[in-house]
Amino acid sequence: MSTLFTQLWQNGGFWVGVGETLYMTVASALLAYVIGLPLGVILVITDSDGLTPVVWLNKILSILVNILRSIPFIILMVALIPFSRAILGTSIGNGAMILMLVVASAPYVARMVESSLKEVDKGIVEAARSMGANTFQIIWKVYLPEAKPSLIVGAVISTVTILGYSAMSGTIAGGGLGSIAVTQARPSNAQDVIWLCVALMVVIVQIIQEVGMFVARKVDKRRRTNKKIKQSKNNNSDSNGNAETTDDNGKNSANNAATI
Amino acid sequence: MSNISKIQLINLTKTYPSPAGDVTALENIDLTIPDGSVFGIIGLSGAGKSTLVRCINLLERPTSGQVLIDGEDITKLPKKKLLRLRRNIGMIFQGFNLLEQRTVEANVRFPLELDRIPRDKANARVAELLEMVGLSDKAKSYPSQLSGGQKQRVAIARALATNPKYVLCDEATSALDPTTTESILGLIKDINKKLGVTVVVITHEMRVVESICTHVAVIDNSRIAEVGLVSEVFSFPQSEIAKQLIIPNLIRSLSGGEGTKLRLVFNGEGTDEPIISALAMECRVAANILYADTKNIDGKTFGHMVITVPEETTAKVKEFLDAHNVSYKEE
Repeated sequence: MSTLFTQLWQNGGFWVGVGETLYMTVASALLAYVIGLPLGVILVITDSDGLTPVVWLNKILSILVNILRSIPFIILMVALIPFSRAILGTSIGNGAMILMLVVASAPYVARMVESSLKEVDKGIVEAARSMGANTFQIIWKVYLPEAKPSLIVGAVISTVTILGYSAMSGTIAGGGLGSIAVTQARPSNAQDVIWLCVALMVVIVQIIQEVGMFVARKVDKRRRTNKKIKQSKNNNSDSNGNAETTDDNGKNSANNAATI
Repeated sequence: MSNISKIQLINLTKTYPSPAGDVTALENIDLTIPDGSVFGIIGLSGAGKSTLVRCINLLERPTSGQVLIDGEDITKLPKKKLLRLRRNIGMIFQGFNLLEQRTVEANVRFPLELDRIPRDKANARVAELLEMVGLSDKAKSYPSQLSGGQKQRVAIARALATNPKYVLCDEATSALDPTTTESILGLIKDINKKLGVTVVVITHEMRVVESICTHVAVIDNSRIAEVGLVSEVFSFPQSEIAKQLIIPNLIRSLSGGEGTKLRLVFNGEGTDEPIISALAMECRVAANILYADTKNIDGKTFGHMVITVPEETTAKVKEFLDAHNVSYKEE
């Protein structure tokens, strides 16, 4: 075991790293959504076939998003150092890292949100329009709630991406598991430290992924019945062979669920 | 104007720009939809009927022309007033278009939420509507747990939530099986009768018009080919497209052959005596039946029959038909 490992183990350095990584990731993801969610909504509604087409605005935002997304994060980080100094007065520390992460991930989040909202059936939007819903009501009561499961899946993917970025930003601005692995462990070639950092990252990603997907499934009200039918078919196929009729008979599927 | 309460389309035209030049969806449409009617608009797919119905609540803006609702040209309304007006025009769709993440009752409550009706009042109205469409026991279900027919019932309840005076149905039964179609059509007819709601029905299915409509407009190639009472248009379709839609097999039976072809129309008004055998016995004319599609509803005969009779007996046969109160047309 390397001395660095022993040292980090004894002074709780690993846990500080985990804490910093989680803090940066969660804070950046939240801020990225504060910017990216409205941006995604604007991209959808100002589209030429959107609710309130504003083609020039849509074009400008779309180009801006594409530019930011096409810059590799490691270069964007370096380029943002003066920007961070101007705004925060520093280019190192968690604050600076969060700033860089937000600039890099907000456009990504906007595209995620955009694609989730575009999955919403146009017919449902049309129905809402036919009932006299205004643009704000359609966003608030149709687009966002109907896209909720997909938005959550998008948030999971975005958060995992930000987590990866946070390791990279640790090499420049300091902090987190990435910083421990790259700036502390690599010079002394402390392989055990590097691999523990990797393992901790894997565990964090797994937890985010599993919890996120569980929540996404939980809030999705589509195809509930089918899932229950499938489950009951597996567990109890002989007592209830007639799955087709279940569609017209909610009670039947409720009974199935109860037997699981 | 004596009867101002109705939907009127005046000289309506809709064109879509496309790279290959403008595409005309509707051309010079003039249509009056009387209050209290169930007005069918029938045509082949691509004829422009879906665009037409969307012009009534301005989901599609006509390129030119007027849409008068109760005498007011709604194409000139400011946005706020237009949104308000849409609450007076319910709409149901082929794909039901329910909010998948909301329960049945929350779907029906949706238009009331848009209107900012207080929760308890809205819930009472929702219960009443679900009762009316026979889905009270499904209030807490989600759309994905319902069958197609049930979904359309929810959509109908939702369309009626704000007590609209008009309901537009865009191919409302096209995704449903025949039995379910019948029950949904029955419900629409009920709504028209009991609530006095004027219903506009877009369809490509003859039987839909046949079973619930009072009036029908036949639309073909972006234009109205024919319009009138269902009983008139169905008995004596004038335009080629109407004939093709209403009695497709009849067209084939009319080509070729010898003798005089007579199309007998039964619209429930004539006697129920066996007309062909009476013709044979009384006039001693042997008629050849080329085509017959008649049905008996409440003891009255409806439908069409095409017969040929020798040319020299034509006058005699016509006299006989007149005497027996049977409508006919020489084809």
